[in-house]
Order: sequence, then C-alpha cells, then structure tokens
Amino acid sequence: MTEARMLSGRRKKQFWGSLHLVLILAAIFVMLIPIIWIAMAAFKTHVDVYQLKLQFTPTLENFKIVFDAPYFLGHKLMNSTIVAFVTVLFAIPIATCAAYSFSRFRLRGETMMLVMILATQFVPAVVIVLPFFVMFRDLGILDTRLGLILVNLAIVMPFAIWMIKGFIDGIPIDTEEAALVDGSTRIQVIRNIVLPMAAPGLVTAGIFCFIIAWNEFLFALILTSKDAVTLPIGLALFKAEEGDLWNLLAAAGIIIMVPMFVLALIIQKHFVQGMTMGAVR
Amino acid sequence: MRDRHLKYVLVLPAILVVFATAVWPLFESLRLSFYFGKLSRPNFPQDFIGLENYTWAFLEEPAFWNSVWVTASYTFYTVVLTTLCALGLALLLAPGGKLRRGVQMLLIIPFAMSPALIGVSFRFMFNPEFGLFDAFFGFVFPPLADISWLSDPTLAFWVCIMADVWGWIPFLTLVLIGGLASIPRDTIEAAQVDGASGWRVLKDVTLPQLAPVLAVVIILKSIFSLKTFDQVYMLTNGGPGTATQTLSHYVYFNGLKYSNIGYSAAVAWLMVIPMIFLTYAYAKFVFRKREA
Repeated sequence: MTEARMLSGRRKKQFWGSLHLVLILAAIFVMLIPIIWIAMAAFKTHVDVYQLKLQFTPTLENFKIVFDAPYFLGHKLMNSTIVAFVTVLFAIPIATCAAYSFSRFRLRGETMMLVMILATQFVPAVVIVLPFFVMFRDLGILDTRLGLILVNLAIVMPFAIWMIKGFIDGIPIDTEEAALVDGSTRIQVIRNIVLPMAAPGLVTAGIFCFIIAWNEFLFALILTSKDAVTLPIGLALFKAEEGDLWNLLAAAGIIIMVPMFVLALIIQKHFVQGMTMGAVR
Repeated sequence: MRDRHLKYVLVLPAILVVFATAVWPLFESLRLSFYFGKLSRPNFPQDFIGLENYTWAFLEEPAFWNSVWVTASYTFYTVVLTTLCALGLALLLAPGGKLRRGVQMLLIIPFAMSPALIGVSFRFMFNPEFGLFDAFFGFVFPPLADISWLSDPTLAFWVCIMADVWGWIPFLTLVLIGGLASIPRDTIEAAQVDGASGWRVLKDVTLPQLAPVLAVVIILKSIFSLKTFDQVYMLTNGGPGTATQTLSHYVYFNGLKYSNIGYSAAVAWLMVIPMIFLTYAYAKFVFRKREA
C-alpha cells in the first residue's frame, strides 16, 4: 500500500513539475508575443503586413521609408537623443551632490526634503505641464528642445537622487574619514574617493534616467509640434487617411525600443531598485 | 568651506530644480484653477472666478464624472489583475533554477518599452481585419471572429486594461521575486515539515511575510494607474466616444484641444488629491525601511 502511495506521490510531483514548466513557458510566450509581432511587421512588405503570415521574405524597405521624406524619422531620433542625453547630463551631477549630502550628513528638514522629492514623482504629468505650456508660450520656447529638457528634469530628478543615494549609502564611510583625518578637504574626498567608487552607480542611474526621458510622452505631445518632436510622438505620423501604416509604425517602433532594451539589459539588476526608490530591496 | 554649510550648498541645486520643475507648477496649476482662462486670448489668465471651475466640473459636466468612473474602474481592475498575475508568476519563478535567470532577463524587456508603443502594438493586434489577437479569438470561438474590438465601448475598455496589465506585470513580478527571496527559507521549510499543504504554506506563511512588499507594489501601481495617459492615447484616444477617457486624457482634451486651461487645471488638481494619500502611504513604507 505504501509503495503505491509513494508511486502516486512521485507521479503527482512529476505532474506539478511539468505544469510548472508549461505555465512559465506560457507566461514567456504571452510576454513576448506583442514584441515579436511588432518586430515581424517591421520587416514585412506593405502587402504582407495585412495578412497573418508567419512566413515572408524579410525586407529593410520600411526602415528606408521612415527615414525619408515625408517622415524624416532621423530628425526625431536626433531630438530624442539630444533631449534625453542633455537631461541626464544636468540631472546626474546635481543629483549626485544632493545624494551625497543626504547620505552622509544630518540636515535640518532632511526627511521633509526627501519626502518632497519622492512626492514630485507622483504628481500627475498633466498638472505640471499646464503652467509650463503657458509659460513656454509667453517665452517663445514652445516646440524647442530646451523647453523639453527643462520639464524632463522634473520626472528624472527624483529617481536620480534616490537611486544615487542608495549607491552612496552602500559605500563604506571609513576611507572617507581616514582621508579627512589626514587633512583632505571634503571636496577632495568627494572628488578622489566617493566619485570613483560611486561611478558604476552613477552610470546606472544615468542609463535609467535616459530610458525614462526617452520614453516620455505627455510633455512632448503637448510642448512640441514640429521642430522638437521626439520619437514616441513621431509614431503619430504614420496614421494615414486610409488607415494606419502598420509596417512603418512597426519599423519606427523597433527604432524606439531596441536601444532601450539594450540599455535596460545593461542595468537589469538595478531596474527594480530605481523604480521603487528604496521602498523595497 | 565647513561641512556645516557645505551640506546645504550641495543640496541646494537639486532642491531648486525640484522646486522649479515640480513644486512651482503644482501651485501655479492651483492658482490657474481659480481663473477663467482661454488660451486663445492674450493676457492669460483673464478673470478670477473662485471655485466656479470646480463647481462646473461637479455639477455641469457629465463627461467629468464619466472620466472619474473610467479612471476609478480602470485603476481597480489593473491593480487587481496586475498584482494577481505578477504574484502568480513570481511564485512560479521563486524556486529558482535555470529558467529563472533567463525569464528575469526577459521580464526587463517589456518594461523598457515606451507605453505609447505598447498602445500602438495592442491596437495593431486587435485590428479587426488582420490583428493577431482578433484572428486568435476568431479561431477559438468562431462567433467572435467579426467583432471589432476597439469600436465597442466595453471591449475597448478591456483591451486598454489588457495592454496596461501586460506592460506592468514584468515590473511587479521582479519586485515580488525580490520580496519572496527575502523571506527566510526556514519558516517555509518548518511549515512543510509539519505537513502543511502547499496552499496552506502559501496562505499562512508566505503571504503574511510578503505583505509589506505587496502593499508597496499595490500603492505604486495605483499611482501609475491613476495617471494613465500614454497607452490610452495611442490605443483608443479615449474612444469610442468617451468610453476609455481617463482623467489625464480629459484634462489634456479640455486644456489643449479646447484651450480651457483654467478648467483643466481644476480637474488636474482634483487628481492630485488621491495622490496625496497614496504618496503619504508610500512614504511611510520608505521611511520605515530607513529606520529599520
């Protein structure tokens, strides 16, 4: 009797083991299918894309078309790159100074400042964008990269400060103290000890902020119209009279997502930490 | 410079940037919400009208209440479904093994995808003539073959929810995997040795210990759901009619399309109120961790 029970126990285990595997594979499949579908459409011809074909002759024609007139996706690509890059270039040094101070000193109103920085992340973007729209219109910087960079700082800064603070918290304080005792100034300590040790963290935070700025949609939709249009807004170009031009949309989609996939994989370990700003480890 | 001064100097630029790019616009929006302001006219804003924008939203605008309802139900369903799916997936992946590393890497990928692009790809897949999902459902249930998903108010709403859940499962799963990994193995093993069934172990041992992480995940997802704009804009643009018009989309539409800035600032501020509570709850978790 016991033997039979053991056997059925083993069967049961096998059954759960294979069900487990099947469920995981199904989840992977569901996660990837929209991406694969876009990726396939990007290499299909105009005719193939309107049929549910799995076999087709791949073509690079779509990528050529989106960069040509009248779409000029290259211009949007440049805008996206410049805006995201300059945003990061401003955000990271400013955030690093603040993060060091928050990490190493006790400040008056420290908790209040940190909560405020955290809270700005949760303010709906539509609330922030209305006054900026009025202001930019009066200043004449609507539809400029400069304007977009300014508002992008609003969404990037809280992530940058919290993320970098996390990295600096993880650096042991002993070397710094030893250097201070030996007569180094605080600025020297920051430059010669903290920055080199925090460098990988700064790069990670920079990449994370770059992805956020690159994917930003609402600000760019409202504050740009022609000259400073970024890639996600550029997607709207491919809505034609006769319907959406799916093969071109997909090609533009590839150009938007593939660089971000690469960047996200580089910093994969820190992605979760960045998003939750220290609420979970 | 002495540390005593330096520490404030170091923080100053960041605080100034946060003030200029987030705190100032927040309060400037509040000020605008008390004015009647048509963007098309110069010398904006024009007339102080007190709370009229708010009373107008509450009393005269069914479209406002519609978007409140859409946003509330959207938030409810996306939070519940995303959390459940992510919890399931995290539990599947928790035992580790060869697959897990690979899957964890794959999970990063959808999360780096622009929400606008997620909207586009779902619109593509639900296209009634050549969409992948459409063909799939038509194949499994032939009566569903002729449905045009995005022109039906209820179905369009659920397609939006599917797109949202799809986009957020990876992130929530990664957070929950981290949470599960930090639960001490011995408590679970002790329960198993005592002969508790898998379900009992999950319900009585694993989930209570996962509760703080689950709470963080739910708060964070609620905040992002309440703000939803990008995907819905690209997927349905609020339609058909106003069936999928979230509050963010309503504000965008009134402010920029009808250039009614004062009114849309008032509605935008009504969105800030639930955020204050959620942010407070979130901050409590963050600082509890810091003190521990």
